[in-house]
Amino acid sequence: MAMAALRREGRRFLISSPAVAPRSAIFSEDLGSFGTRSISTQVVRNRMKSVKNIQKITKAMKMVAASKLRGVQVKTENSRGLWQPFSALLGDAPSIDVKKNVIVTISSDKGLCGGINSTSVKVSKALYKLTSGPEKETKYVVLGEKGKVQLVRDSKKHIELSIAEIQKNPLNYTQVSVLADEILKNVEFDALRIVYNKFHSVVSFVPTVSTILSPEVVERESEAGGKIGDLDSYEIEGGETKAEILQNLSEFQFSCVLFNAALENACSELGARMSAMDSSSRNAGEMLDRLTLTYNRTRQASITTELTEIISGASALTG
Amino acid sequence: MASSAAVPFWRAAGMTYITYSNICASLVRTCLKEPYRAEAAAREKVHFAIAKWAEGKPEKPSYFNTMFMYSTYLFVGRFKKLVDRKQLS
Repeated sequence: MAMAALRREGRRFLISSPAVAPRSAIFSEDLGSFGTRSISTQVVRNRMKSVKNIQKITKAMKMVAASKLRGVQVKTENSRGLWQPFSALLGDAPSIDVKKNVIVTISSDKGLCGGINSTSVKVSKALYKLTSGPEKETKYVVLGEKGKVQLVRDSKKHIELSIAEIQKNPLNYTQVSVLADEILKNVEFDALRIVYNKFHSVVSFVPTVSTILSPEVVERESEAGGKIGDLDSYEIEGGETKAEILQNLSEFQFSCVLFNAALENACSELGARMSAMDSSSRNAGEMLDRLTLTYNRTRQASITTELTEIISGASALTG
Repeated sequence: MASSAAVPFWRAAGMTYITYSNICASLVRTCLKEPYRAEAAAREKVHFAIAKWAEGKPEKPSYFNTMFMYSTYLFVGRFKKLVDRKQLS
């Protein structure tokens, strides 16, 4: 009983498939017997399938970035308390004029995160132009693969250090401080300028520059007066001298500011990836709509062609 | 630079303040009991690859791992013992 039903089904399938085969022959790009030409729907169908897959992937990437962002955002907000006292004490002087500048550019290792790496590199290059001049020396320290790739194109002679694979483990202070230590040991500087994208909200990432001065320059500035000149009003406990304390403070300040900058950049990267993937899924959806319209049009056109053939054939027989 | 009279032992050993505070922090972390010790150890993980550039070309990158850091702590411990015993001034 079941076997008979199956055989019937099989025969029906066999009858239908030869009917399908010539139809697909009509659909493929060739001249029909009456010179009719039709666009292939196979190609359109394949494109629709791949665009749908891309849309699913970008949606998933957006979800992943959103979930990661929540954790990193909490860390970033907590890390802001590390460098704010330093700004209150030593001030942030971006317009300071020194001989040796080192520009630390923070970028991401992975791509698909919108334009944040390009903006960081643009700001770094502008800063380089600003701080270069006679008797002055400016060098780059690049964190992250994407920034390195962009800077290598025209400034590779000025790169001092390049660092990669920072985000293998979740960012913590120990990692960034060891990194800061390495930078301090390998690079001579009068002023360090850290370029990163500050995270204001999920849709706004502002490229920022933080300046950190070497202890000698801080000493010079405090003698000159101004905001740093108030340092003498602080009493120093213990057996250390002011120069000693300034050196410790300067190193610690660099470590804290670099930690905050790395976290803010990571937040901005995730937020930028979220919005990039979101717009990508939206574009894929629009593309899918247009392809569906094209597909339906071609399908209806070929059905109409078949119908007219059948009807004209029938009328030729009867008439 | 200040005279050597007021320089602490770790500065004389060539360490920066950052290295010194990291060592102190990891010593504090080893004083914890389980399970907080495992959580704190996760906060100590270090991994990055640093490459020095010379004349527009990167040299072979050297990797920094958590294990690499611990080797410096042993060095400092021995140095401090020597200073305390006044064998090194």
